[in-house]
Amino acid sequence: MINKVPLLQIKNLKKYYRVTAGLIPRPLGEIKAVDGVSLDIIEGEVLGLVGESGCGKSTLGKAILRLEEPTGGQISFQGTDVLSLNKRDLRTLRGKIQIVFQDPDSSLDPRMPVGDSIGEALIVHGVSGAGERGRRVARLMEKVGLEAGFAERYPHEFSGGQRQRIGIARALAMDPRLIIADEPVSALDVSVQAQVLNLMMDIKDADGLSYMFVSHDLAVVKYIADRVAVMYMGQIVELADKEELFRDPLHPYTEALLSAVAGLRRGGGSRILLSGDMPSPLKPPAGCRFHTRCHRVMEICPVAEPAFREVVPGHYAACHLYP
Amino acid sequence: MKTWFYTRRGIVKAVNGVDFDLRQGECLCLVGESGCGKSVTALSLLRLFDSPPGKIVSGKVMFAGIDLANCPVEQVRRVRGKEIAMVFQNAQSALNPVFTIGDQIMEQINAHGRYNRADARKKARLLLEEMNIPQAENALNMYPHQMSGGMKQRAMIAMGLSCDPSILIADEPTTAVDVTIRAQIMFILQELKTRRNMSIIFITHDLSLVREIGDRAAVIYGGRVVEIAPVETILTDPAHPYTRGLIACLPDISTNLKRLPSIPGNTPNPIDLPEGCTFHPRCRDVMDVCRSTEPALVNIAGVHKVACHLYDNAGAFIA
Amino acid sequence: MTELKPGQGGRSRIPLRISHRLWGYYWERLQKNRLSLVGLGFIGFLVLTGIFGPLLVQDPQKTDFNILNLPPLGFSIQESIYDIKTNEITTTMIEGRPEHPLGTDSKGRDMLAMLVSGARISLLVGLLATGIAIFLGTFLGVLSAFLGGWVDNALMRFTDIMMTFPFFLLLVLIVFIFGPSLAIIVLVIGLTGWTGAARLIRSEALSLRTRDFITASKALGASDTRVIFNHLIPNVSSLIIVMASLSIPGVIMAEASLSFIGLGDPMSTSWGTILNTGQHSLDSAWWVAVEPGIMLFLTVLSFNFFGDGLRDAFDPKASV
Repeated sequence: MINKVPLLQIKNLKKYYRVTAGLIPRPLGEIKAVDGVSLDIIEGEVLGLVGESGCGKSTLGKAILRLEEPTGGQISFQGTDVLSLNKRDLRTLRGKIQIVFQDPDSSLDPRMPVGDSIGEALIVHGVSGAGERGRRVARLMEKVGLEAGFAERYPHEFSGGQRQRIGIARALAMDPRLIIADEPVSALDVSVQAQVLNLMMDIKDADGLSYMFVSHDLAVVKYIADRVAVMYMGQIVELADKEELFRDPLHPYTEALLSAVAGLRRGGGSRILLSGDMPSPLKPPAGCRFHTRCHRVMEICPVAEPAFREVVPGHYAACHLYP
Repeated sequence: MKTWFYTRRGIVKAVNGVDFDLRQGECLCLVGESGCGKSVTALSLLRLFDSPPGKIVSGKVMFAGIDLANCPVEQVRRVRGKEIAMVFQNAQSALNPVFTIGDQIMEQINAHGRYNRADARKKARLLLEEMNIPQAENALNMYPHQMSGGMKQRAMIAMGLSCDPSILIADEPTTAVDVTIRAQIMFILQELKTRRNMSIIFITHDLSLVREIGDRAAVIYGGRVVEIAPVETILTDPAHPYTRGLIACLPDISTNLKRLPSIPGNTPNPIDLPEGCTFHPRCRDVMDVCRSTEPALVNIAGVHKVACHLYDNAGAFIA
Repeated sequence: MTELKPGQGGRSRIPLRISHRLWGYYWERLQKNRLSLVGLGFIGFLVLTGIFGPLLVQDPQKTDFNILNLPPLGFSIQESIYDIKTNEITTTMIEGRPEHPLGTDSKGRDMLAMLVSGARISLLVGLLATGIAIFLGTFLGVLSAFLGGWVDNALMRFTDIMMTFPFFLLLVLIVFIFGPSLAIIVLVIGLTGWTGAARLIRSEALSLRTRDFITASKALGASDTRVIFNHLIPNVSSLIIVMASLSIPGVIMAEASLSFIGLGDPMSTSWGTILNTGQHSLDSAWWVAVEPGIMLFLTVLSFNFFGDGLRDAFDPKASV
């Protein structure tokens, strides 16, 4: 089902934020929100990107679309070098890669009828004729399970789940090949979350889309993703097929994450409690960034940064446990 | 118990008939989705909502022989913090940013007791240590903004425990934090329960947490308890269609589903609750009677109670 | 593209929660606030008076020395006349007359006509000056927020400087230099009054700029102009309206104060000018000062009530 053509290739992508303070800006340091991430997304697959808040997963999503201008690295989408695109070509690209946001309250313009929000892409990309646009908006709304007659209504008239559907419809307007879904169900109630997840799966199967599914919820990722990447402090620490990763996590951080997920039907098992919190991103620990919280820390960990390498075929990890 | 909010747009029946009891050393979980009334239930126990517009329209909250719902406010105030303490979802806004953690805990300690400064400080330090906060002495001198999210959450629990209450109400204490921090906090709460033999009311929307900490769980929907039973029973043998749906649609890392079951429709608006059983518009087993009559909470098996027309008054399964 | 088959997951038709149009919804919420409706009613009355009133009443500048200081209808005053020949004081009662229901001033001008004319002037000054100020404020505020960086810095420091200016003194100075005219007054108030609006709109626009729907619009490929005009401006529009309705009374008061101290446009009759006339004859003809005073009071109060009501109606946080 999945052919192995990479749709999107990210190489050594970096996004640093300079932090300054004071009236006359004085540099305090740099936050390395994304620090050397390399990833492929294959045509038709769902790549889950998992991590805790502040690990840089959302920034990574936005950097791909250049909504946050990357500091360094390479992105190529269907063979085009995204970072060298001029304004007009970038606009075309943004029709092909789309983004769905987490918060259904803030992702729709409260003063704009939802039909106009969905159709905005059509106007921007020069689909002319109000009639044609109206028909396409209606089709998009039906596709996400909303009545086309609701196009005239405003976001506040919809529930959270419905607004998320509208956000998905808006993303689908220009027939994208890749959708970056940034925690699309985290703000929804459990009973509604399942509806939206199912919808996303249906659309993927129908249109042959690829998703980059960003989430902090491993259970959701387990359901929707084909491959999973785990991110910690701006870096990918583990990447593998879903089954493989959940059955046999290599990186201690992944292990801890998995054990922290309290499965409903999970039997008892030892639980790994990480000590402390994520260190300040201004001062990431030397060596392996996870060593301050790691339950398997070794002497080498604070000294050398582990390489991200293929430990088992198709299963990558950055950890000194696997030299 | 019923708590209604009289607003300009209508009466918000936030809590519309909630009954439960809590035993010594037990953890009761109130489970429900946003707007179901679980938080208002907790606030109602201590009359912590704004009044007006809020009002406990009927019902009783019996604690140690006092009816907290109907007694004078001064009496409730004596219970707040001392006997029943509360921990909130958002530690960021629950802590006062201009005082140190130590000062805030010490103030709590002295709110109901009399300690001199040194004793209060010692007690505060012990509390922070109980919360597994490293370098507790240092932490006492920190301001909330100097602490991480997980530390703040734990400091807040410490504050709640400052008067050694017998009941702790935890309102979604782990919703705003990451999974690894959540695990730490759940661990602390479990410890508290066993070590202090404390009763905990744990409010959450996450069924998977219920399994970890709860002894019994009450599922709340549309302002009512629709099912209450020991946690194992709720999770393995749910009786109410809503509970069943809720459990089924939760993605789980130990299963491999091609497709998630889902409950159609949206959570109801507390201003405009459906007639009869509040769940009937979304229920797959809906019957005629559900649309008109509100089901009573009936006992179906020992300690397992459910409010659903699928069960008759004697608790036998009809349909 | 394969179409989804009906009945597939999550395709169930879901009823909407609330079904109002946006403005209808605001109107409904505004109606909950009685005082703001009263304010709106009075403003409406004032606008109608300002537009059509001058056609119905006599010329406000027309003097008639036979009917000096006539009291309003239903009131009477005692007038004592000292007769030099007889060396006697005769006291007569002067009653209000139906043809001058609100009385006349010391030059025999009809109070009703003057108040009606004053309504037109006050509203005109209020709306025009506020319009200029709010337009400038919105433009500079949005620009500042959207461009950011040094533009933002420069614009905001300029705003700070403008804010420290003693505005009324400036007004007096300019009117003194260029001579009193309505146009000058409107321009000066408009060109100095935008600072508060600019700051508020900037902060609102700054917070909007980080909202996901703005990012979403950019992600769709929308240009900056499109984002500003289709998303930013509509979203600050309620703030603009509220600010306008709350700043109009200030402007009206400013014009009245200028006129009161004698720097108003001598060619027009505003409430401030009437007040100015009236202050000299408070003991003999109290109504000349009291009537415009009441009008000012009611107008300012109405705009404030209405503005407050609007603010509550627009406030998304107040929604249930």
